[in-house]
Amino acid sequence: MASARDFQRQINTVKNQARVFSALQTVSSVKFRKAEARVKRARPYAENVEQMMRDVAGSASGDLPLLTGREIRRIAVCTLTADRGLAGGFNAQVLRRTVRLRDEKDSDALQVASGRKAVAFFRFRRVELAEVFTGFTDNPTYEKAREIGRTLTHLFDEEEADEVYLVYNRFESALNQRPVVKRLLPVAKEEGEEEESGTSYMEYVPDAETVLKRLVPRYVETMVWQALLEGAAGEHGARMTAMKNATDNANDLVRDLTLQMNKARQAQITQEILEIVGGAEALSAG
Amino acid sequence: MAESSDQRGGGRQLFCRVITPEEVIYDGEANLIIARIADGNLGVLVDHSPLVSSVEVGEVRIRENDEQHVYATSDGFFKVSENLVQVLVEEAVSAEDIDVEAAENRVEEAERELSEVSEEAEDRDRVVAEIERRQRMGENLVAVARKYRES
Repeated sequence: MASARDFQRQINTVKNQARVFSALQTVSSVKFRKAEARVKRARPYAENVEQMMRDVAGSASGDLPLLTGREIRRIAVCTLTADRGLAGGFNAQVLRRTVRLRDEKDSDALQVASGRKAVAFFRFRRVELAEVFTGFTDNPTYEKAREIGRTLTHLFDEEEADEVYLVYNRFESALNQRPVVKRLLPVAKEEGEEEESGTSYMEYVPDAETVLKRLVPRYVETMVWQALLEGAAGEHGARMTAMKNATDNANDLVRDLTLQMNKARQAQITQEILEIVGGAEALSAG
Repeated sequence: MAESSDQRGGGRQLFCRVITPEEVIYDGEANLIIARIADGNLGVLVDHSPLVSSVEVGEVRIRENDEQHVYATSDGFFKVSENLVQVLVEEAVSAEDIDVEAAENRVEEAERELSEVSEEAEDRDRVVAEIERRQRMGENLVAVARKYRES
């Protein structure tokens, strides 16, 4: 049986771990609050770009592939994860969703990865990566969203992919991030919406098609941007939650170990008393 | 999200919002908004007809009573609908807040990068376009700062 001293050693180790977890939790919660505020501040832009996209798509005539699509031979999937782990199921759930999408649609899909976790995952599975973006996921800049967006639009323009999907964690709360799949290209008119969006009169300068051609790349960037921001908030939120759980577990463990240590110490003291009493009795009997 | 449900717009007062990917830069009443859209300078007064266009790298001027707000902007989009003007641009900096030195550095850096782009690079056109975009915005920042600060 382990001695009281062994338990003490274990307790110290776990206590140190708890301190680390708790520090990580504090750091994450500060970063989380910042990232969450950023998502909220950025929302008006994304909402307006999306709205404009819908309006323009509703008004543009002609059979633009960007709008209505073309025959699908190959798709491209862009997966956004974090660079780092220690965030519970945050990365795994997006990757699982990506694998499912690939299985359903096109197991030969062009794969674009943003975030070291995604890169490592696909390399390990020997999925060839068309493009890789890393090193910014916990604090993304618009510049990066543009790079990714341009890459995706380019894949579509060059007909390397006939559909482009984005898989990312939608940020709901610190406790809850849901993996979602969003089709970026072609920019389909949403079903049932086609008629009503065209009702109010709107003048396009110089014309709807020209505006559309300029807007589409911007729209793709904006969707990537929003996803990156939500991903950053989700990453910090998930890490905060994961570290809180880890801290709680460590504290529980300390309580259990303390109990066991006390028992062991009691047992040891009892043992010693018994030995002394036994020894005394043996002496007096002799 | 329809404009009519927005508290801004819809009435007899013109409103303007300048929005970038990071945040809303300007949100308030306006009497006149001037921007360079796809086919030239456009001035928007109250009750302007609905319009969507792109804006070029340049400046957006917002007149509100006796005040004038000037923003150096990158390219983007412009929308007028129900007395609400929305300017959606990647970057918008108030003329007073422009860091001229930083903007000049940006131009120099872009020029240096341009000279370093390899001729054979596969995506040369894209890279060059990207650098030129940064260069144009840097030059624009400098120009707007000079124009509005001295007066």
